[in-house]
Amino acid sequence: MSTSAEWEDLVSTALVGTDRRPLPGQEASEVELLGRAAVHTLRMRAGRRPVAAGEPSAVAAPEEQPAVSRAAGERLSRILGGEQPRLLTEWLETAAARGYRLSPHLLPELLDHAAKDRSIRPHLGVLAGNRGRWLAGLNPAWAFLLEEVTGAATTGSDEVSEIWEFGTFGDRRVHLGALRATDPARARELLAAGWEKETAEDRAAFLEVLVTGLSPDDEPFLEAALDDRRREVRNQAADLLTRLPGSRLALRMAERVARYVTVSGGEIHVTPPVACDSTMERDGIRAKPPRGTGERSWWLQQAVARTPLGVWPRLLGRPPRDLVRMKIVDWGRELMAGWVRASVIQGDPEWALELFAWDPLADLLAALPRDKQEIVAADFVRRHGLDGQLIMVLGGAAAPWGPVLATAVLQKIIDVSGTQPWNLGELARLAGERVDPTLHDMAGRLSPEPPIQEVAALLRFRDDMLKELR
Amino acid sequence: MIERWNRDQVLALAPDASSKKAAQGVSSPGKWSGCGVTADAVWGECKGSGSKPYRACVDLSEPAYRCNCPSRKFPCKHALGLLLLWSADGVPAAEEPADWVAEWLEGRRGRAAKAAEAGTARAARAAEPGPADGRRAAQREQRVTAGLSDLERWLADQVRQGIAKSRRHDQWDELVKRLIDAQAPGVAGSLSRLGAALDGDDWPARLLSEYALLHLLCVAHRSLPLRVGGGSEVRSGALDDEAVRGEAAPVGLLEKVRDRIGFPMTKEEVLSRGTVRDLWDVLGRRDEEHDRLIARRVWLRGRATGRAALVLSFAPVGQALDASLVTGTTIDADLAFYPGSAPLRAVVAARHDTARHDTARHDTARHDTVRRDPAHRDPAHDDLAHRDPGRHGDVRDGPAPHDVARDRGAMAGPPPGLTVEQALDEVAEALAGDPWLDSWPLVLEGVTPAGSGSRLLAGPSGGLPLHPSAGTPWRLVATSGGHPLTVAAEWTPRGLRPLTTWDEEGRVIVL
Repeated sequence: MSTSAEWEDLVSTALVGTDRRPLPGQEASEVELLGRAAVHTLRMRAGRRPVAAGEPSAVAAPEEQPAVSRAAGERLSRILGGEQPRLLTEWLETAAARGYRLSPHLLPELLDHAAKDRSIRPHLGVLAGNRGRWLAGLNPAWAFLLEEVTGAATTGSDEVSEIWEFGTFGDRRVHLGALRATDPARARELLAAGWEKETAEDRAAFLEVLVTGLSPDDEPFLEAALDDRRREVRNQAADLLTRLPGSRLALRMAERVARYVTVSGGEIHVTPPVACDSTMERDGIRAKPPRGTGERSWWLQQAVARTPLGVWPRLLGRPPRDLVRMKIVDWGRELMAGWVRASVIQGDPEWALELFAWDPLADLLAALPRDKQEIVAADFVRRHGLDGQLIMVLGGAAAPWGPVLATAVLQKIIDVSGTQPWNLGELARLAGERVDPTLHDMAGRLSPEPPIQEVAALLRFRDDMLKELR
Repeated sequence: MIERWNRDQVLALAPDASSKKAAQGVSSPGKWSGCGVTADAVWGECKGSGSKPYRACVDLSEPAYRCNCPSRKFPCKHALGLLLLWSADGVPAAEEPADWVAEWLEGRRGRAAKAAEAGTARAARAAEPGPADGRRAAQREQRVTAGLSDLERWLADQVRQGIAKSRRHDQWDELVKRLIDAQAPGVAGSLSRLGAALDGDDWPARLLSEYALLHLLCVAHRSLPLRVGGGSEVRSGALDDEAVRGEAAPVGLLEKVRDRIGFPMTKEEVLSRGTVRDLWDVLGRRDEEHDRLIARRVWLRGRATGRAALVLSFAPVGQALDASLVTGTTIDADLAFYPGSAPLRAVVAARHDTARHDTARHDTARHDTVRRDPAHRDPAHDDLAHRDPGRHGDVRDGPAPHDVARDRGAMAGPPPGLTVEQALDEVAEALAGDPWLDSWPLVLEGVTPAGSGSRLLAGPSGGLPLHPSAGTPWRLVATSGGHPLTVAAEWTPRGLRPLTTWDEEGRVIVL
C-alpha cells in the first residue's frame, strides 16, 4: 500500500473507530493507530517536496516613469494610514500631474481604495505604472485601472494614432484633449471620423473635450449631434452650442425668449411657453419637469438657461447690472434661476458677478476669473456669518487661495473661535486644504489660537508634501 | 547614525489599533517643540491639553520609551508620534541630548546595569535548589504523570469510538481544565487550540494528526528517563550529559518533551545556560489574543550562526507589549535559548547596540557598565561570545563572524536566505529535534509568488504553498512584479505565512 493510501486508511479507520474496525492482527488497535498516525504525520511534514509551480507567469514590464521619492512615498503611507486622509486626492493629483509612479508595495491598498472611490481612478492610471497594470490584470476587482489614462498618454506622443485606435478610454480622451488644445479642427475631424462607432457614454464624454478651443467652426458638427440617439450627447451638444452666440441653436433660443420676456414701464413681464414642441426638445429642453416643478416654469428656466446671455441687453435694452435688479412682475424666480444657470454654463463673469450679489452660489463664484473670485469671496466672508452657506460658497473658490482670501478666512476663524469654537471644524479644514500652502508661516504668525495653529500645521504638511512631489 | 525606521516599522510598535490612530494625530511638526535626535535617542515636547507640554523621549538603541503623560498605553501616543515625526525626517539632528533627556538615559542605563547584576545573582541562586523546591517538584512530577495518563486514555477512547462525531469545539474544555490542574499547561494549551483543526474538508486527517502528536508526547513522557540519578533532582536545567548518556536517551529531546508539556523555566535559568551572540535580523512578528492575553511572537535569524529564534512576550489586552524588536532591523545581541532539541524560543540576554558604535562621544567607561553581560558565560554554549572583554561590543574589532556579517550591511537590504530545498531540509531537521514543532522562521531567497492566486512561493525547482488563511498576498505580489525576491516567512505544517520582504531598493516591506 502506498504511503498516502495507508494514511487515508488510518484516517477513515479513526473516523468510525477501532471498536468497529480494528486494525488487522493488533491487540490494542487504537494505540497502534495513534502511533502509526504520528509517524505518518511527521513523515508528511518533514518529507515535503517542492510543489510544481507551473508555468511562470509573465513579469511586469519595466517602468518608464520615475518613482516618487522615498519621503513622498512615506507621506502617502501616512495619509493612507489615517493622517490627514482628506489630502489623499491632492497627493495623487499632484503626483500624477508630474508623471510619477508609486512604489509597488503601496499599489494594492490604493487600488482597493479606487475600487470604492471612482474619483481617484484617473490619477491612479498614471501613478500605477506598468506594475499597476500588471497587477490589475491579476485581480478582476482592479480591472478598472486598464481603462484609465496611462503615463504613456501624457508622455509619448509618437504613436498618436495608435493611442486613438487602441488606447484605453482614458488615454483616448487625454489624446483628444491634447490634440484639441493644439489643433482644434483636427481634433474635431478625428472625432467625427469614428463618431458612429463610439459608444453613447464615450460620445458624450468626448464632446466634453471640445469645450477647449470651442469656435463657430464646430457648430455644424454640434448641430448634427442634437439629433443623437442619446440624451446625454444631445444635452452636451446643446450646452456647447449655447456658448456659441452665433450658433443656430442660440438664434432659435433668442427667438423663443423674445416671445416670453418683455420690458414695459420699467418692469419685466414674463409669459412662459404653454407647450414644449419637438423643436424645443431637439434644442435640449426637457419636456418632463422634475417632481414639484410646474411644466411652464420648467420650460421657461431651460429656455433662458440655453439662451446666450448676450441676447438680453439687446432684447431688453439694459445692461446685466440693471436687469438683475429690475422688478419682475411674475415668474421672477424662474427667470433669475435661468440666468444663473446660463451664467454657469456659459461661464460669463459679468453676469456671474451681478447674480452672485443676488444669490451667492458656489457655481457663480467659480465662473469668475481667479483674481476677481478671490476678492468677491473675501468680501463675502467678511460680511457673512459662519454657516453652511459660507462653507458652500467657499467651495466654489478654486485652490490655492491667495493672501487676500486666506487672510479673510483666517480672521473669520479667529473671530468665531472666541464665540462658537465648536463650529469651526469645517471652515478650518477647508482653509487648511485650500489656502496656498506656502502661506503657512503667515498663518502661523497670525494668532496662537489652536484652530489657527491647526490650519498652519495642515498648510505646512501640504507645503512639505508638494515639495516632496516636485 | 541609526537608519531612520520607516513608518510601518514605527506603527508596528503600537500596542493596539487605537494607539496607531492616536499616534498619527500627534505626529505633525506643529505639535512638537524642542525636538532633537542623536545617534541613539530622539526626544521632543508635545503640547497636550494641559499647560505644560509632555516630554517624550525614545532610546533608539533598545528601543525604550519615556513620556511624562498619564497614559497607561505603552509606548504612549506621544512616543509613537515622535517616532513617526522622526521617520518622516521631521526631527532635526542635535549634537547632544537635552538635559532632561541625558538625565533619563543615564538613569535608565544605570538601572539596566544594576538589573543585569541582580539577574546574574538571581540566576546563581536559582541554580541551587532548596529542599522545599525538591518536594514541590516531586509533587508536580506526580500530577503531570497522572494528567498525561488521563489524556492518553482519553485519546485512545476517541480513536476506539471514532472521531466522526468530534467536530465540536467544546469537547476539550473538561480535558483542558484537567491538565491545567495537573500542572501541564503546555499540553493544555495545545488541546485548547485544537479547534483550529476543525476547519475545512480535511478536518478528520488534521484532527487525527493532532491527536497522534499528543499521544506521542504522552508516550515520550512515559518512556524517557525524567528522574536522572534516581533522586529528587528533576529540573531539566540540572541534567547533565553524563547522566543522560547512561540512560541512552538524548538530553535535548528530553528537555523538549518537558518544555512541550509545560514544565516551567525561569528566565534566570534560561540565561544561566549561556548565550549566543550574533547579528540577528528581526524578520517579523505576530500578535495573537488568547483568553484576554496577547502573545507576541517575534522571529529572528542570526546572520553568522544561521540560527532561528523566537522571542515571546505576553501582555493583557490593551496593555503594553514588548516593542523592543523592530521588524527589518538587525540587532547585535546575545540570545539565550530555552533548552531542548531544535531550540527556537529565546530571550534577549544583552544587546550590543550597533547604534552606539559609530559615535565617538560615548566614553568606554559607560560602554562597560551598559554592556555588562547578565548571563553566566559557559564557553561550551557560547562559541560566539566576544573573547576580548575589554573591547566587547565593538563589532568592527570583534571576532571574524561579525565582520563577515557586518559586511553584508547591518540595516539595509534583505538578510541572506535559503533556497526552497534548503528551507525544507532545515524544517525537516528541526522536526527531527522537535516533532511537535508547528512554527519555524525562514528566509527564502530568490522566490517568486506563483501558481493560482499566487499562493506559492516558488524557486527554480518548485514552490512552497502559503497557509490557506493567507489568501493572495497582494502586497508581496505587487513588490515582486513577477521577479524573484527575498521573503521572510513563518513555516507552519499547513503552509507558509509571509512576514516581510525587501523591495528592489532594499526597503523593508512588512507583509
